[in-house]
Amino acid sequence: MKSKKAGRIVFEIFMIILSLLFLYPLFLTIINSLKSFSEVMTDVIALPKSLAFENYSYVWKYINYPRLFLNNTVITVIGLAGIILISSIAAYKLARTKSKTSNLIYFICIMPMLIPFQSIMLSVLQMAKNLNLSDSTWGLGILYWGFGAPLAMFIYHGFVKGVPREIDESATIDGASGFSLFFRVIFPLLKSVTTTIVIIDVMWIWNDFLLPLLMVNGSPSTKTLTLAAYTFVGQYTSDWQYAMTAMVMAVLPSIIVFMFLQKHIVKGVVAGAVKG
Amino acid sequence: MFKLGRKWAERLEFGAFTLPVLISIIAVFYYPFMLTIRYSLTKWNGISKNPQFVGLDNFKQIFSGDANFLNASWFTIKYAILYIVLVNVLAILLALVLDMKMKSTTWLRAAFFIPYILSLVIVGFIWKFIFMQGFESLGASTGWGIFKLSWLGEPNLAFISVLLVSIWQSVGFYLVIYIAGLQSVPEDMKEAAKVDGAGPVRRFFSITLPLLAPSITISVFMALTNSIKVFDVILSLTGGGPGGTTYSVAYDIYRDTFQNNLYGYGTAKALILFVAVLIITVIQLTIFKRREVEA
Repeated sequence: MKSKKAGRIVFEIFMIILSLLFLYPLFLTIINSLKSFSEVMTDVIALPKSLAFENYSYVWKYINYPRLFLNNTVITVIGLAGIILISSIAAYKLARTKSKTSNLIYFICIMPMLIPFQSIMLSVLQMAKNLNLSDSTWGLGILYWGFGAPLAMFIYHGFVKGVPREIDESATIDGASGFSLFFRVIFPLLKSVTTTIVIIDVMWIWNDFLLPLLMVNGSPSTKTLTLAAYTFVGQYTSDWQYAMTAMVMAVLPSIIVFMFLQKHIVKGVVAGAVKG
Repeated sequence: MFKLGRKWAERLEFGAFTLPVLISIIAVFYYPFMLTIRYSLTKWNGISKNPQFVGLDNFKQIFSGDANFLNASWFTIKYAILYIVLVNVLAILLALVLDMKMKSTTWLRAAFFIPYILSLVIVGFIWKFIFMQGFESLGASTGWGIFKLSWLGEPNLAFISVLLVSIWQSVGFYLVIYIAGLQSVPEDMKEAAKVDGAGPVRRFFSITLPLLAPSITISVFMALTNSIKVFDVILSLTGGGPGGTTYSVAYDIYRDTFQNNLYGYGTAKALILFVAVLIITVIQLTIFKRREVEA
């Protein structure tokens, strides 16, 4: 028995070392963002001799970090709010209505999950131009409604089926109907699945690259963090210390959010993926 | 009169609930998809006002031998197969370990998941830095030959690099799906097999793996759709090099459309990609669904 326990501890230590090795690239990124140019060039794996926080202030000013952060936030919030709102009401109605039309509409809504974005990207760009949605953070946020809806609908639809119909009926008797029934009675019951969708979509929209590249890359006032990091590294190919700083600054918000929501994230991925 | 009124009221409500999502989805998927079909039949540089109708010429040209598209397809097929197999096998192995009760389990799960929350473009750049600068220092301090190879400069190694980086970024995601799957395998079944004298390997293949089938279906589906569309990580890691050996189909479409301004031609390739994705995913889902068993 004792040797079995000792074996477990050795095994656990092995796993911890493995996970540290796994995260080592991120560690190297952080320490090199705090080094001077010559230090990065002489030895990448050494710890910084002194902390060069001026890298951060330089990149902060150069890419106008607060502005980019605001852009990302606007896009993510508009996209997310729209996805949640339109998908939840539609999925609820479709799950509650048993008819051919209802099934057909549901199929039309989830089918796009099979369409690769590259197959329609040019047309989306053309359409966005015609609708005056391009080169605007708002416009991009609105486009995400459609792109995020199929998966959200799929997850909501599956979940609503498990919410008893009696709840609707008793609420109707109490005088609630239509939107007020949905928002006051049903929507609060969907809280756990809404959290899941929030997490999946925030990670996706915040980090998305190709759609923002096509839609809002034209001006610094509409760029996102990932786009800025991409162009920044393009211009500073040999100034790795600045490049690493830009990387850290672009990913920091996601890491902070992850640390706060870690438990929900893992649960959310499971719910979204296994049911989805 | 009253009845007709109620029916219309119901229809109105149905419309009010479902139209917003329908309009959004039609606007970003179906309408652009129709446009894609139209553009694919034209020759268009994106500047002239009217695309010139050329019928099926684009498709004829692609199928009669477009070297770029052929190479990109070959790259994507190799990449997709290896990615799907490796990421799923690794994720299952890790999930088996992290399903055990250890003090650090929560921390370990989070650690393997962290790369997944980073944008793929940034992951590509981080690894480019590691391959180009970091490996030099690691080689100097360890003396291992593996760090002295040109991981982004030699075609075969560049392919492996793209593969490794993608797996590094996403293995945590599949890991979580498999952990969830493992938790739904009933303990008493494993116990019963143990009593019957089945060893750990036999127990895994005869009990755990078959019951893990729904998780495998969904993971393979996700790995498949994601690997066919691989783009961001290549853009920042190798830029398609060395010598154009790491262009994926998605990247080739992007390059034709937006860098070479061959709007019609690029769109025709995009349409071929769609048909391929559709056929492959439908086949995959049918085969995998058939193999699933109930616990």
